[in-house]
Amino acid sequence: MENTGTVTAKNIMIKCNSIFKTFESKDDENEVIRNFNLEIKENEFVVLFGPGQCGKTTVLNIIAGLEQSTKGEVFVNGRKITEPGPDRGMVYQTTALFPWLTVMGNVEFGPKSLGVKKKERRERAQYYIDLVGLKGFEKHYPIKLSGGMQQRVGIARAYCNNPPVILLDEPFGALDAQTRYLMEEELGRICTKEKRTIVFVTNNIEEAIYLADRIVLLTNCPTTIRKEYIIGLPRPRDYTSNDFLTLRKEITSEMDETI
Amino acid sequence: MKRVFTKEKVQMALWGIIGLMSILLIWQISVMVTSLGRIMPEPIEVVKSFLISSIKPVGRYTLLQHMLFSLLRVFVGFSLSGVSGIILGIAMGRSKTINSIASPIFNMVRPIPGVAWIPLAILWFGIGETTKYFIIFMGGFAQVVVNTMSGARKVDKTLVGAARMLGANKRQEFFRIVIPSSVPYIFAGLQISLSTSWMAVLAAEMVSSYKGSGWIIITGMNNGNTVQILVGMISIGVVGLGLANLMRIIERRLCSWRIQGQ
Repeated sequence: MENTGTVTAKNIMIKCNSIFKTFESKDDENEVIRNFNLEIKENEFVVLFGPGQCGKTTVLNIIAGLEQSTKGEVFVNGRKITEPGPDRGMVYQTTALFPWLTVMGNVEFGPKSLGVKKKERRERAQYYIDLVGLKGFEKHYPIKLSGGMQQRVGIARAYCNNPPVILLDEPFGALDAQTRYLMEEELGRICTKEKRTIVFVTNNIEEAIYLADRIVLLTNCPTTIRKEYIIGLPRPRDYTSNDFLTLRKEITSEMDETI
Repeated sequence: MKRVFTKEKVQMALWGIIGLMSILLIWQISVMVTSLGRIMPEPIEVVKSFLISSIKPVGRYTLLQHMLFSLLRVFVGFSLSGVSGIILGIAMGRSKTINSIASPIFNMVRPIPGVAWIPLAILWFGIGETTKYFIIFMGGFAQVVVNTMSGARKVDKTLVGAARMLGANKRQEFFRIVIPSSVPYIFAGLQISLSTSWMAVLAAEMVSSYKGSGWIIITGMNNGNTVQILVGMISIGVVGLGLANLMRIIERRLCSWRIQGQ
């Protein structure tokens, strides 16, 4: 593993070093990210929260290595990110499950790619399938599962490689309200059980406050950090508690000004 | 276990039989009361002849043997066009260079139907089996290439990204993402290719052969034997139907992940 001097603090897991991103087409330049700096501690749950289309997903994709920054660098665990890799688990908005593989096939895809022996990867996959509450659905194909269940598979798949970092890109954005609450609860439960460094992108304020250790509020495009909130509410959180609602009001009013 | 014979299925089958029977009945009556009788045999005759020729040889072989000869030719030609078509299709779909080299030639040759190759094939390979294989190959090849290519091109980039995030290398990306997501397209190509192969073999047999379903029809014509022509035609229909069903069963097995419900 290549260690660079840039990351010194011991428990910093992710470091974004003045990221700029401009999408260029033939006769158009679209600046999406302008000077984005962020440090995320090990096992911290950070929510990137901001208005729609503001470039949150682009930040996430750059951390994932799926997109390259125009300027600036990302370090994960002290290693500079240049391409996708199994040290970061990714959960997508559109489930992005492999439709020709069963639930088991999807979840064990990562370990299988890395050459983990069948018995061991089956056991590990089974553990995460059970953890996300899909016991008994191992042999189902994704098309036969509901949206919420598909996202559970996506979460199990991301965890199964045991990556120190999990990236989630509006994972519950396409779900109906009821399922969404349920999935937020489930994710909260999983995160307490399986500690990971988490970057979660959303434009839903309730979801952000419910899940985050820290909310990073982003500005409109070209995006950068506007303000950060440490969320100290005890878990599991209550959507209707006074502290929750006060916080919600505060962050929302701050965001409204940016639009 | 699910029931194979649901009430609905039995009903549908019954309607099918009624349809078939009515056609035969109309045919029988028309032959008996109109002047159609001068150019068409009675359906009873055809069915009878169909059954008899299953045991008694027409030419050197029985009807069943003729059908098997045709099928064997299709099997060889179709396998060749299938395998090479899939390889070329994936290569063209995944590599811009290969696509640039191959597509002008390919697009020129593609509109030429398999049967148009018959004269050249006879001059090159004589009238033996190679000629038939070649014609079947030319008839089915293009469809496999075109479909496979579009499948290999339409691979979802998000899925490729997801695979790489999970640690898949280039080789795994190809075999575990590109190939499986192309399978439905490849299959559509193979299905069309099989039916054109079946048509191509009959055309080839009509031009030069001493066996096969196509030969039965053409000797029927030469002898003015309408019964034999119709027997040959029905055998083609039966085999064609069988092949189509076989492909559908295989497809359902291979692509079960695409079928919703159940």
